Amino acid sequence: MRILIVDDDPLNRFLLVHMLEQKGYVDCYEAQSGGDALCLAKQIDPELILLDVMMEDMSGFEVAPLLKAQAGDIYLPIIFITALDDEESLSRCLDVGGDDFVAKPFNKTILAAKISAHARTRELSKKTFLQNQQLIFYRNAVEREHKIVEHIFSNAVTNDHKLLPYLDFKLLPATDFNGDLLLFCAAPDGGLYYLIGDFTGHGLAAAIGALPVSQAFHTMASKGLSVLEMAHTLNDTLLKLLPADMFFAAAIVQVNSGGTQLEIWNSGMPDLLLLDSKGKVIQRLSSQHMALGILDASEMDRDTQRCQTVIGDRLLAFSDGLIEIMDVEHNMLSEKQIEKWIAQRSNITVDELFQRIGDFSQGVAPLDDLTCVSYTCQSLIKLEHSQSIAPVPFELRFEMSVETIRKGEPVQSVINMVCSQIGMYALHARLFTVVSELYNNALDHGLLKLDSKLKHSSDGFEAYFALRALRLMQLKDAQITLSVTYTPNERLLKIMVCDSGEGFDHQSYSIQTEIGDPFGRGVQLVTELSDSVRYLGSGNVVEVIFNV
Amino acid sequence: MSLERKFSADKKQLTVVADDIFDFGKVQDFRIAFSTDIDEVETVIIDLHKTAYMDSSALGMLLNMQKLLSGQVTIFKIINTRPQVLKILQIARFDKKFLIS
Repeated sequence: MRILIVDDDPLNRFLLVHMLEQKGYVDCYEAQSGGDALCLAKQIDPELILLDVMMEDMSGFEVAPLLKAQAGDIYLPIIFITALDDEESLSRCLDVGGDDFVAKPFNKTILAAKISAHARTRELSKKTFLQNQQLIFYRNAVEREHKIVEHIFSNAVTNDHKLLPYLDFKLLPATDFNGDLLLFCAAPDGGLYYLIGDFTGHGLAAAIGALPVSQAFHTMASKGLSVLEMAHTLNDTLLKLLPADMFFAAAIVQVNSGGTQLEIWNSGMPDLLLLDSKGKVIQRLSSQHMALGILDASEMDRDTQRCQTVIGDRLLAFSDGLIEIMDVEHNMLSEKQIEKWIAQRSNITVDELFQRIGDFSQGVAPLDDLTCVSYTCQSLIKLEHSQSIAPVPFELRFEMSVETIRKGEPVQSVINMVCSQIGMYALHARLFTVVSELYNNALDHGLLKLDSKLKHSSDGFEAYFALRALRLMQLKDAQITLSVTYTPNERLLKIMVCDSGEGFDHQSYSIQTEIGDPFGRGVQLVTELSDSVRYLGSGNVVEVIFNV
Repeated sequence: MSLERKFSADKKQLTVVADDIFDFGKVQDFRIAFSTDIDEVETVIIDLHKTAYMDSSALGMLLNMQKLLSGQVTIFKIINTRPQVLKILQIARFDKKFLIS
């Protein structure tokens, strides 16, 4: 142990050094004044100081605090060696920052015992200091990691800003990371989706599931999948991903482009409240399913709830953190209170709700994340028109020879190509049906000359397809040309299908079909799903237009 | 690939799950789905949760199936339709022949 002896009397220093050597402390340094001591301490970084009180330049009382300050964070024991023995002087030794005192002439045994006692304390202090440093290091590392994860989260869990005017919502995480999740996305064919969910627990562990859920949700929403399909896919994903004690309560809502048809899947969330414009509860959409990430796909039910609402109705959804808010006396808020607030003020905003919650809890911090979202039924037509769309005109032309036709099912490839253009995906389902109809008409009637009336009996239905297969085998020198032209200025998508056949009397296909007839529905579908239909040539060319 | 079929425990209810594309190409599969083990079936459910695309030949197949089974099956349901597919069923006024949800 490195010991610094500070005394202006050489004899005293000699005695101390001698005694310390006897006790095995051989690493001793001497300073003959306070100034010397400060200089030397800087160089040698002593582990214990024996300090005389009465010195010429500076008294020990003055030097002690300076030495302490120089020593930094680790405990540096200073033991005063003093001839003074009045109470005041002795207590002053400790007041100025000294840790102990020994009276002159000193007792060797007592001094040695004191030195070793203070050495122990210093060791403890060293250990604490090291552990402190480690803690700081870990805390910094964790903070940095949280920052990184937060960054990733804020980029991954993004929502469509276009939808902000349609949804009123607020999220209040209990910790840095939110176990609650609110996602929304425009639907490809107008309308919108949103999801409000709550992972078990909160903080980072709970938030980790938000990434895959968010990505799957946006992918599925932009493809126009049903809420049922979304729920099942999310369930499968989370079942694989999450440990058994973690799951995800979620409600998924799809709103059509009219803004009033709602389809709702509620698995484990509190009741969603459907309210009329006066704030009265019309319907409570209770959870019908277990939270996601628990059941096997085969155990999952397939029921969703559908609501036909009117403009001005409102769907309010919140996480259980909201109703479990406590006031100072540990009373829970409850759904009833929320309903009361809405009844008092029918157009209450989510912000105002949170203010009332704040008043209720009187500063008691919420234990869980709080999330609330409100959708007021309104036309979403504008949303449909705000979708961005391919700015460049294009034309796609598909010439299908007999060989290609025999391979079958070219329509899907055509649709995929068209729908990969920006903004075209919204049309995909309509396009598929219409192009399938046109293509099948061109093939069945234009090239293969089949008569739909064959399908009239159930046996005929089979016969029709047998005959179709046969004629397809025999087909020679035929072609179907399909062209897709898009003009961005008019926002028109034009589809032309032309077959090399003789044409057919399309008029006979537009007569009203009997409900029960298993044929003749194609032309009706084409007319209703597209914006205009025209037959050209001898009926071997058909042109269909979509307003995009 | 054959279509997924599910029977209720008492064999009185048959659910057939259609594929993502329900069109002319599924004629055989659809016929096969209703060709065996259906003696006791009284309710037929067509589950369209996977179906994203549908054309008029699918409508024809549905009607044809209904015609074939109308002697023994009393309830025909179409369930889990996506909005786009529901639109096609509505245009064709299938609500008059099937319980659609």
